[in-house]
Amino acid sequence: MVGQVIISGLLAGALYSMVALGLALIYGVMRVINIAHGTILMLGAYTTFWWFRLLGINPFVSLLVSIPLLFLFGMFLQRTLVARVVKAPELSSLLLTFGISIALVNLAQLAFTSDVRSVEFLTGAFLVGPFAVSKSRLIAFAFAVVITLLAFWFLQKTKLGKAIRATSQSSDVAMVCGINVQRIHLYSFGIASALAAAGGSLVAVIVAIQPEMGQVYTFKSFLVIVLGGAGNYPGALLGGMLLGLVEQLSSLFLTTQVSEAVAYVLLVLVLLLRPTGLLGGRQT
Amino acid sequence: MRWAILAALAMGLLLFALYPMVATGYGIQFMLQLFMWVALAQSWNLISGLTGYVSFGHVAFFGTGAYAAAILVTKQAWHWVPASLMGGVAAVILALIIGYPCLRLKGPYFAIAMLGLNEVMRVLVSYFEGLTGGGSGLSLPTLHASRQIYYAMGIAALAVTAVAYSIITSRVGLRFMTIREDEIAAEALGIDTARYKLYAFLLSAFMPGVVGGLYARDQGYIEPISVFPLLTTVTMIVMALFGGKGTVWGPVLGAASLFLLQEMIWARFLYLHQVLFGAIIVVVVLLMPKGILGILQERYRLPRTI
Repeated sequence: MVGQVIISGLLAGALYSMVALGLALIYGVMRVINIAHGTILMLGAYTTFWWFRLLGINPFVSLLVSIPLLFLFGMFLQRTLVARVVKAPELSSLLLTFGISIALVNLAQLAFTSDVRSVEFLTGAFLVGPFAVSKSRLIAFAFAVVITLLAFWFLQKTKLGKAIRATSQSSDVAMVCGINVQRIHLYSFGIASALAAAGGSLVAVIVAIQPEMGQVYTFKSFLVIVLGGAGNYPGALLGGMLLGLVEQLSSLFLTTQVSEAVAYVLLVLVLLLRPTGLLGGRQT
Repeated sequence: MRWAILAALAMGLLLFALYPMVATGYGIQFMLQLFMWVALAQSWNLISGLTGYVSFGHVAFFGTGAYAAAILVTKQAWHWVPASLMGGVAAVILALIIGYPCLRLKGPYFAIAMLGLNEVMRVLVSYFEGLTGGGSGLSLPTLHASRQIYYAMGIAALAVTAVAYSIITSRVGLRFMTIREDEIAAEALGIDTARYKLYAFLLSAFMPGVVGGLYARDQGYIEPISVFPLLTTVTMIVMALFGGKGTVWGPVLGAASLFLLQEMIWARFLYLHQVLFGAIIVVVVLLMPKGILGILQERYRLPRTI
């Protein structure tokens, strides 16, 4: 039983890590808490849904559509709106991204209706020894791991990735070193949105799709980056896995509703006892 | 001048007091909700407008008060007035428990913690089904008391605005605002920042609790999603911001104008109205972060205490 729970926890955790890495990137680079992050995930899920429904395209192939599409959309949001509140107090960016979120969610209600949709693809489970592993979850997990690793490779090895990490350590010093900080903000928001979109496309085969599905993921991503230390990118990975495990473990002993509260209690505890996150400090 | 203002205020109060004699049922409901929003926006102003600590889960106090009052009315057969006051007390107790540790958090961390608190409260309320009815909600016994609730809401809005006025014009208010401008400097000046932040927080929690209780009585039915939505927090923030946060009349002005706009124009369209609300938030944040009064104060050198 515990083994099964650990497996489900890790499967869910990898998705949380990937989505939260996007939020951590935006917070790290701009000190903006993006409440619209889950909304972008929702748009990714709908992209996959419509491609599957209308064109019969494999949901995992539709990652190739949702990722670039929402990468561009993220850059558009940053360029037109978010860039104006980067230097403002946190209230401005919280409200602004909430405004974006509520507008997009309700546009989605108008365009797609609030019917609950699902992508019926790869149902059933693999039996590995005593454990059952849902096929769709396992493949989503594999994609999440690959995409997250790619994102890390990008941050560690490429010139742009290094510039992003430098901006996140100190945007003033980065500017002095000749990094175009505005452009880094633009790319960071784009990449973060792409990660959320990938999350959306992958959860599309697992959970029900509807316009308000994103809020839960926004909250969970907050939790993950607080657990791992805001702006700490490896921390986001650890935090995601931890959240997946804690949720699954607590669902063993408690009802689903309360296991949700466990996560928030954890959030407040970590904020109080280790406000810099479990890994401490901002290490990028 | 001073007499003229006082006379105008007295006239206004008299008009509001006489209004139910001539109003229709809808008119009373409309004003009652307007008063509710004034009280909520003004309460948020007390903590976030004055000390700068952004409470992004203030609706938690509203919901807590609503449930405390509703439980007292249904299970203990209390009258709704003392029950609503107890709703306020419950909200203050919650603020004490959560504020003591959380007010040490800075900036966005405090905002996230408050957001988390609201989620925890909603989940807890859904969980204790025996007491709260869980997800299926809690129905209060029927009672036709719109007029009385109208007066109670009006008094709540007036009281919290009077408190805001007396704080903003006092030394305590200066201490709050010093914390907002520079907390380290405030400490260096000898202000016990931890204590004053807690005072502001407790003050700002009481009235949402009371108003929550009145709301529960007025609606006759509450459920977790109707009294703990993030949207309500954001609405009170945007109202305070639109009028001018950190001022006495800003939240009143903001609540009145946005509520009017909402009722007159948008409420007719189900989803489009929220799209427009999102757009209004974006416009207020980008173009007028200081609010109407903030802009007027800068341009015409109005006193800080309006």
